Amino acid sequence: MVDPNELLETVLGDVDGILLFSPTTSFYEQFVDADVDVVVVASENDLDADPFVELPVAFQDVYDRVRFGIEGALEQGLLDDGDVVACISSVFDEDLDTVSRVRVDADSTSGVYDLFENTRAEPDVLRSVLELVIELGKKGQKGQPVGALFVVGDAGKVMNKSRPLSYNPFEKSHVHVGDPIVKVMLKEFSRLDGAFVISDAGKIVSAYRYLEPSAEGVDIPKGLGTRHMAAGAVTRDTNATAIVLSESDGMVRAFKGGSLVLELDPEEY
Amino acid sequence: MVALAQLPDTEQLPEWLLDWPILLISMIVLVGVVLGYLLGRVSKSVLEAAGVPQSVEGTAFERTAQSLGTSTVSIVSRMLSWFVYGVTVLTAIYAFRPADTDWIWQRIVVFIPNVFIAFMVVVVGFVAADKAELIVSERLRGVKLPEVSLLPRVVKYTVIYVAFLIALGQLGIATMALLVLLAIYVLAAVIVAVAATKDLLSSAAAGIYLLLREPYGIGDRVTIGDREGVVQEVGVLVTHLEDDEAEYVVPNGQVFEHGVRRERN
Repeated sequence: MVDPNELLETVLGDVDGILLFSPTTSFYEQFVDADVDVVVVASENDLDADPFVELPVAFQDVYDRVRFGIEGALEQGLLDDGDVVACISSVFDEDLDTVSRVRVDADSTSGVYDLFENTRAEPDVLRSVLELVIELGKKGQKGQPVGALFVVGDAGKVMNKSRPLSYNPFEKSHVHVGDPIVKVMLKEFSRLDGAFVISDAGKIVSAYRYLEPSAEGVDIPKGLGTRHMAAGAVTRDTNATAIVLSESDGMVRAFKGGSLVLELDPEEY
Repeated sequence: MVALAQLPDTEQLPEWLLDWPILLISMIVLVGVVLGYLLGRVSKSVLEAAGVPQSVEGTAFERTAQSLGTSTVSIVSRMLSWFVYGVTVLTAIYAFRPADTDWIWQRIVVFIPNVFIAFMVVVVGFVAADKAELIVSERLRGVKLPEVSLLPRVVKYTVIYVAFLIALGQLGIATMALLVLLAIYVLAAVIVAVAATKDLLSSAAAGIYLLLREPYGIGDRVTIGDREGVVQEVGVLVTHLEDDEAEYVVPNGQVFEHGVRRERN
């Protein structure tokens, strides 16, 4: 008969660091004097923890959450390539209930941390757009599934690589993606064809844009449609990030530098 | 408080009460004690319901009060009670005393509320000063410069100074010199602020025009002064231009100084 603690020992033994995902204050305090590095990963740093990695979205998928935390810690220099870390997070309830042992591999990062932190657009703007798209994906437009394409950041270049399909409804307006009225408005505008262009600071520059990037060398999974192809291509041609809501399978996908970085199912949020 | 100063003449009271001054005084004391106690309790729960404990939390005054085993709310409500007790005692003495010393008591009775208000102003001033210091330092937390830590303290002592001025004014003490000092200080602060933000103000005025009329928009290729590039962002204070090598942050004031050359596409 194997002692359960021994099993846990094989998972937790000889780790170089511990990643705590959204711990409670009392739980975190137990780790303050630990002799390994402890990194807190949460959406808000209300524990005043240091080191700290900020979660932009409450990833429901533990795999995405852990990946984001590790890549964030790696990017901030808190972990090194080849480190073995224990990730403590919650799967079932609010409480931390799951431990996973992960080897940090700097070569095979997915760029999900990069997507939010090292972009031209402000992280807040990207987060608002992602939330908006997730909500749009959940509810759809009048119950019908909708597709949408948001190009965030580097708006000047994007505007020069696209042309209007019709009059721009956002001309001479100063609407930011974080504004509360935007949700309703964009839901209505999402039936328009073409892409939304959003500037680095979050201003909605235009809707109804037909993107004209060159699609050379864009590597996106086969089977995705023209909307995804346009998104991948525009991020390869400019420094923008594109967030796409697929009309056919309802998934939210983020593209950067011409490749697919993040895939989320809006139903889970 | 005027009503207190014009207490009913002792002649108006019924005869039997005047024969038993001890009864009259004990009645006054009883009413005063009950009233003071009730006022203290009611004000405490009103302050608590109004969320005062949460809003003063963390201020130095509250912390001092906590270390003395009390809190801002209980200090304030207990002061209200004591104020009523004090008035009660004075009334009792007033009722007991012969009429020839009347005017002294009259003056004391009129003066007590002023002392009370002055004290309250000082308490509120201290709490507000701590709160202002907290807010300012919270705002400046991102700026990691040792000199910046001076600013919250300046704000704090300014608020305390103003509170003391009001309190002293309430007590009728000549505050003219202190007022002049305050005026000089405020004037200096305004002059420094205007001189320091002159360029910001002119840029903001230009920026508001740019945002309203949009002579150029995001994606246009423009030349402002000797900087040429594609407009990436138009804000209230600055315009971001970008060409192949660099990104320029151009103050909007320059747009009006040099004008804009916009390329047709």
